[in-house]
Amino acid sequence: MSASLAPECNEKKERYDTCFLKWYSEKFLRGIASTDDCEPLFKEYKSCLGKALKEQGIDTMLEEARADSRESDAEHMKPS
Amino acid sequence: MKIFSATTEFDYTWEEVSVGNWRKYGPWNEKTPHVIAVDTLSRSVDPATGILRTERLITCKQSAPQWLQHFLCTSSVSHVFETSYVDPSAKKVTMCSHNMTMADLLTVQETVVYQPSPTSPAARTQMYQNAKITALCGGWQKIKNSIEQFTVDRFSQNAAMGREGFEMVLEMSRKAFAEQREQQAKL
Repeated sequence: MSASLAPECNEKKERYDTCFLKWYSEKFLRGIASTDDCEPLFKEYKSCLGKALKEQGIDTMLEEARADSRESDAEHMKPS
Repeated sequence: MKIFSATTEFDYTWEEVSVGNWRKYGPWNEKTPHVIAVDTLSRSVDPATGILRTERLITCKQSAPQWLQHFLCTSSVSHVFETSYVDPSAKKVTMCSHNMTMADLLTVQETVVYQPSPTSPAARTQMYQNAKITALCGGWQKIKNSIEQFTVDRFSQNAAMGREGFEMVLEMSRKAFAEQREQQAKL
């Protein structure tokens, strides 16, 4: 799996990514995903990453980037 | 504005491609060294549609030619924001991304769609890729054109390398899953 931009979060990211990939291939794609099994691991990784994003000043850039993605949400979140 | 678009097929099922896609920039891919980090920012399944929505931050390190670096005062590290949508019932992965760095001067908006191949849907997967490249700096059309041309050239080189690298990931992924199944069968 790929690295995190914050090396101190690599371990937490690796644990979460591994869990996600298993959930995605064994449950989500088979249509039996009622809950996200990896939520607790994601929370740990996210709180680590959040600090790094703030320190590097990326968090404010992200807010702008998010605003730009609303258009694609409207287009791609429609039921098929 | 310049547009790059390409359609290609992978000799792997849609399920394999959609799983491999999350590993695209991992260590199995030796062809995309310019991607140095991929971080997941948010992820949720929409209860109404069943669509998995993911936000990721992709960090790249890539050199631009000296004249462009000088003009854009570019730093060597850049960020791309990606939002992706996986619709498991329609068998469709859509990834939309745009650059966060230097976005005042140049925008690169990319859309990639993975769907089962129209001719062989059970065995092969089609990838459609489209990128819109626009230089925004005021005035000099000549400079705008050069920046756009450089970016579109770099983009198509990266796309070709990305495809080659993704093939490696898919092959490794298939092997890893086969080994996993073998081990499970032994237990």
